[in-house]
Amino acid sequence: MPLVAAENLVKKYDDLTAVDGVSFTIEEGQIFGFLGPNGAGKSTTISMLSTYLPPTSGDAVIDGISVTREANKVRNIIGVVPQDIALYPTLTAIQNLRFYGKMYDMGGESLERRCQELLELVELWDRRDSRLEQFSGGMKRRINMAAGLLHHPRFLLLDEPTVGVDPQSREHIFETIFKIRDSGTTILYTSHYMEEVELLCDYIAIMDRGKLVASGTLKELLSVLGEGGVIELEVAPTGCSEKLEADISRQQGVTSVKHQDGRLVIFSDNSARSLPPVLKVLEEMRCDVIHLEIFTPNLEKLFIHLTGKELRE
Amino acid sequence: MRQFRKLWQITRKDLLVMGKDRGSWIVLLLTPLLIIMVASFALGPAFSGELKSSLLYTNLDQGGVGKQLVDGLREVEGLELVEGTEAECQALASGDTKYKTCMLIPTGFSSKILTGSNTGLQVYVDPSDNASRPFMVGMIDGAASRLSGMVNSVKVSVVEVMKFAPEAELPVVASDAAQTAVEQMNQDPPVAVEITNAGAAADVNMFDTQAPGYSVMFLLFGVMLGAEGLLEERDKGTLGRLLVAPVAKSSILGGKLVAQFMIAMVQMTILFGVGHFVFGMHLGNSIPGLILMIVMTAFTATSFGILLASLVKTRRQATSVGTLVIILMSALGGSWWPLSIEPEFMQKLGHLTINAWALDGMNALILEGANMQDILVDAAALFIYGCVCFLVGIKMFKFRNA
Repeated sequence: MPLVAAENLVKKYDDLTAVDGVSFTIEEGQIFGFLGPNGAGKSTTISMLSTYLPPTSGDAVIDGISVTREANKVRNIIGVVPQDIALYPTLTAIQNLRFYGKMYDMGGESLERRCQELLELVELWDRRDSRLEQFSGGMKRRINMAAGLLHHPRFLLLDEPTVGVDPQSREHIFETIFKIRDSGTTILYTSHYMEEVELLCDYIAIMDRGKLVASGTLKELLSVLGEGGVIELEVAPTGCSEKLEADISRQQGVTSVKHQDGRLVIFSDNSARSLPPVLKVLEEMRCDVIHLEIFTPNLEKLFIHLTGKELRE
Repeated sequence: MRQFRKLWQITRKDLLVMGKDRGSWIVLLLTPLLIIMVASFALGPAFSGELKSSLLYTNLDQGGVGKQLVDGLREVEGLELVEGTEAECQALASGDTKYKTCMLIPTGFSSKILTGSNTGLQVYVDPSDNASRPFMVGMIDGAASRLSGMVNSVKVSVVEVMKFAPEAELPVVASDAAQTAVEQMNQDPPVAVEITNAGAAADVNMFDTQAPGYSVMFLLFGVMLGAEGLLEERDKGTLGRLLVAPVAKSSILGGKLVAQFMIAMVQMTILFGVGHFVFGMHLGNSIPGLILMIVMTAFTATSFGILLASLVKTRRQATSVGTLVIILMSALGGSWWPLSIEPEFMQKLGHLTINAWALDGMNALILEGANMQDILVDAAALFIYGCVCFLVGIKMFKFRNA
């Protein structure tokens, strides 16, 4: 039985549908990744799961508890790490943690112990008495994460926890996430960085314009693209036939062709076999090739394949 | 009970955050103390009766009546007489002197009075001086009226004397009578005006008149900072983080309000305490009454803060709208000058503000020596005002950004 089950979640703001009928399940112990560009609806989905926003319709159940009907019970078993650094800059690291711990009815020796554990986990125990305003962005993000873990949540929601951090801090955060997962906590991780989701997540859901466009393990998702790789080419804007896209799509092994930022992204079941006929078409049509590259399938290309646009858009 | 504990933890956290914010303490304490000091030294005498107005005079009279008139005016409280020349007196019209009013006693003033003839005093005034002119002219007019009264009395007396002693020489009798009357002019008048301070207040000093008004104004600025802080928590996500924790909304808002109320109480207590212990400001005869007024004012101001936070969308709006409203309320409500000098409709309008009700009570206690019972209406009005702001504020406050 999954720990989390979302059923047809919808969130509307007047005429805008931010989340449009999203359903998914998350198994216990899993790191579930939500991938999508900014504005795809990831944070809104997290907000509904965390009880911050009530869904317009639909429901989600966490450990058998409905987020719409028993929000308060849900709040006791989830931990939320928001995208913003939701901490008090003039308080010290440990003062921040103590305060949030008390909001979960923690106190005394157990709270002190837990604060120490978490500060050690994020490797900031030595800086416990420093004011947060003196920390780097990455250090603040680590404390932000620790504040969501104080009460041993069964389900942790991480909303873009690496936004604006340096590579070293990002590595730190990844290590911490694996440690949290290893301690048995189920994690929902949102990001618009494909590499992060590929690295961290056991199961991935891709969102665009409020909808889930695909979900599965990384392997399952990439299998959509086949194993043949992706050819990306850019031709000079003049002298090339308008029929180029249609002609390439008819070549052997080519499964689809997408236009992307003036480039053609050619999906095929075998790029090595598809490349010669593609080059022949280019020659016949007297197209000047400016750039040509062959990629192994990845989530970025999958996203283009599914939505016709890049993750960064 | 758990929610109460969380409410208290939120209060403690807010007090801790506030305690570390030096900028806020400058607004809450240092600025009001400096403004109160400046205002007290600059304006206090005008409102506490310590102000001396200088009257320039020129006595061209050779007789004793002019001197008697000057001596009588010297006795007037708050009036300082400075002797000058006729030219100085006339220069006043062109603004060439520092004096605003000059009284010229003409040549032959005494002889005309003593012979029962009509005469007059020449008074020069600075046309731009609207503040002290009524007082000055009133004083001179009063003295002239007394002289006129006595001359008329002499005339009546002489007529009566002549009925019974027709053989007497009229000019001699009249002159003697007038001389006697003028000598009596500065003696105790038959009808004395006795001025008693209403209530049992001690002598008012300059801080008594200025400190309450400015304290209430800066109390409102303090709660405006609180409103900004609440909106900042919403913008930066800390409020959102509390909303996804098992904390009731009432505990979140309650904790913040209690903290703001405590800060307001501390602010008022320190301002009044410094005023009292450092500058000798009077606290009136009813300390419990003053405490009640401070508590009610702090409560109402805190509620005003939550109302402000609920009516605006951003921190910048809170600052701009809050500043505008507080300055308007302070001007209308008597924080800068006594409401009593305003027209009646302005006084009524002023009572739409927190300042007016708070200052009615505080001034009654500090300046008039009122007791607890005298300020219950003001305290009740503040309480009702605060409850309305509080209920509308918590009803309308949006925990989430739109």
